[in-house]
Amino acid sequence: MTTKTTVREHEGDMLVESAVLGADDVLVLTLVDPDGDSLPAWTPGAHVDLILGPDLVRQYSLCGSPADSRAIRVAVLKAPDSRGGSVAAHALTEGATVRVRGPRNHFPLVTAPRYVFLAGGIGITPMLPMVAEADAVGADWHLFYGGRSLASMAFLDELSAYGDKVTLVPQDEAGMLDLASILGDPRPDTLVYCCGPEGLLGAVEERCAVDWPASALHLERFAAKATDAPAEGERSFELVLAGSGLTLVVPPDRSVFDVIQDAGVSVLGSCHEGICGTCEQIVLEGDVDHRDSVLSESEQAANDAMMVCVSRCRSDRLVLDL
Amino acid sequence: MQPNPVPLDQVDLADLDVFERNEAWGMFDTLRREAPVHWNEEHDGGSGFWSITRYDDIEMVDKDPETFTSTRFTNLEEPPEEYQELRRSILETDGPRHLALRKLLMRDFNPAQLRRYEDFLRGLATLTVDTALQQDEMDFVDAIAADYPIAVLARLLDTPEEMTPQLISWGNEIVGFSDPEFARVLVNSEESQKYRHLPFSSPVSQEIFEYGRKLAAERKDGDGEDLVSKLVNRIPEDGVPLSPEHYDNYFLLLVVAGNETTRQAISHSMKALMDNPDQMQWLLEHPDKMQQAVEELLRWASPVYHFRRTATRDVELHGKTIKSGDKVVMWFASGNRDDTKFDDPYTLDFTRFPNDHMTFGKGPHTCMGSNLARFEMRIIFETLLPRIASIAQTGEIDRVRSNFVNGIKRFPVRIESKQG
Ligand code: HEM
Ligand code: FES
Repeated sequence: MTTKTTVREHEGDMLVESAVLGADDVLVLTLVDPDGDSLPAWTPGAHVDLILGPDLVRQYSLCGSPADSRAIRVAVLKAPDSRGGSVAAHALTEGATVRVRGPRNHFPLVTAPRYVFLAGGIGITPMLPMVAEADAVGADWHLFYGGRSLASMAFLDELSAYGDKVTLVPQDEAGMLDLASILGDPRPDTLVYCCGPEGLLGAVEERCAVDWPASALHLERFAAKATDAPAEGERSFELVLAGSGLTLVVPPDRSVFDVIQDAGVSVLGSCHEGICGTCEQIVLEGDVDHRDSVLSESEQAANDAMMVCVSRCRSDRLVLDL
Repeated sequence: MQPNPVPLDQVDLADLDVFERNEAWGMFDTLRREAPVHWNEEHDGGSGFWSITRYDDIEMVDKDPETFTSTRFTNLEEPPEEYQELRRSILETDGPRHLALRKLLMRDFNPAQLRRYEDFLRGLATLTVDTALQQDEMDFVDAIAADYPIAVLARLLDTPEEMTPQLISWGNEIVGFSDPEFARVLVNSEESQKYRHLPFSSPVSQEIFEYGRKLAAERKDGDGEDLVSKLVNRIPEDGVPLSPEHYDNYFLLLVVAGNETTRQAISHSMKALMDNPDQMQWLLEHPDKMQQAVEELLRWASPVYHFRRTATRDVELHGKTIKSGDKVVMWFASGNRDDTKFDDPYTLDFTRFPNDHMTFGKGPHTCMGSNLARFEMRIIFETLLPRIASIAQTGEIDRVRSNFVNGIKRFPVRIESKQG
């Protein structure tokens, strides 16, 4: 028998001292201890869990200053498809209380003479204390910050203090972050830190895999996603549409629904979250990995139907009657 | 075409005349741009509501039933507390019970099940079109759009053919409940107060209930494959049987939900095709793209303007505080014209793909009949379009006076037909 050691994490209610919009759809929350006690220490890259409901736990990077032991700060992007987490967080107003667990740090800043920081959208949050620290210790650093538009990008004021060490890349004016040139000069003395949406993380991983040292890249997968089914660790599998006579591949980052639709075969859906039942398809072969909230356990076990917007396949081949 | 802009201080989505004149679109545009969370007073004693008009916000509201509940009813009307239980259907139920009730029939509407009805649908569509084209002057709504959806439903419910006209007129009276021409008793009128214990505050509901109960009694413990038999003989997944009231309301919902809506989808689609001859031509040249075109026609038609929710706690959204207990209206029709989601939303474009419209809603209450409605539309147009040599509008269109159903009452056309 093995015994598990449980490290007790700090958990308690905190008071929302202020809740202000930091950019379009970005709510910046400042949280303090209700009794004014001082808060646990943390380091750049740390996050906390906000416990927003019985099944609603979301992780948010701390984006204030570690030197401030009175208050912590998080920023929440309202994402319509995050199953209510960001909605619940956006509902927090000044004077409300919220249960908080942590902080903990899976994304620590390792000491180095040079850094390239890459942030996409709300992924800016852990970067704020990181660049502050890098700046304070006199490291040579640069932050590339991409977002949909300037109006959607939070903390521009604070970043303006760093002058030309920060490059803003609003997509509507400047397009996407140009990774080929940003990461075009691999150097052994440089660490790359990246946080943002899956698309950016994947692209940066791919770019760094080419010619950067293996340990150079540090990235944090989007906080909101961390507790949802992770795209990491997904496998690809073959998809056969028996009726249409097509054989396709479902890669780790695409849903069965997307792959069918991309192939030009008609498939109908609505919620894309496995909660409405519109996209049900008949399964002829394959060990379905059910992830919907619609089919009962016994219906899932019958393995003859699936919701293709969320469910995947454990075996190498999935055959649908489509 | 882009609607005329309406200044914010003139926006009033409780004014039914606006909808009768087809002028809500300009108001939606203004709200999406200037006031995405907008308070609208009501003029008939209602407590007022927040209008949500952007695609993303509507999706967020529809997917968060804990914060935006359906259990306080889903039309603008606020039924008195004491009648809510009597009137409750799956539309006004949330959580595990909602899913259990929904699942009684949900999978009977999946594409695989519906395929069984394809021959029947084709036969019915051919009959409808043949009959209509015996004359060349007609009211398109009456001649083609009105009876076809309910005849399909009658088949799914397995009701005798002679009942079909009765089902049609019941459907008309219920869904046009705010239009004087259709409703026997206008909602929120003095007389309707007598019927507030009934869905839509309409005495017609009682008649439909009674018919539903008769069918239920006949089919209880039988082995019928029709929807009524399934409804009375299946036990919901949570083990709690359907109460008589729940059965009544479920049956009523089946009769009305897919009737008026699908009819409107068909009428609006015909109008859209006539107004966009290039798209009509494209479709005739690409018959294999019918399904894709149907999605665009559904986005275009938006037969259901809105559904309503109620906030269960204070929520801050776009700088406005929605208070617990406030009515929150999701304007699906507006989401379908949101230019952050659809390029050139006021252009009918059959090559639009994917086309993630919100005509059927977006969350756990997503229309259960959406696949059936799509199937019906595909087949009626596959049958009708090849038979049209030319089609022209011959008079004014009349619209339903409602901010719930986006409906056309009369649509006079002349069709020169050819053999398909
Ligand atoms: C084009 C035609 C139709 C349109 C535009 C339409 C639209 C809608 C909408 C907007 C909802 C509410 C979605 C939400 O709250 O998120 C709904 C619910 C529903 N519809 Fe439809 N509908 C159509 C046809 C049908 C048909 C043919 C049937 C079946 C006979 C049907 C049965 C239902 C039912 C049972 C619900 C309630 C689902 C629930 O609460 O879980 N509808 N429909
Ligand atoms: S689209 Fe709703 S369950 Fe798949």
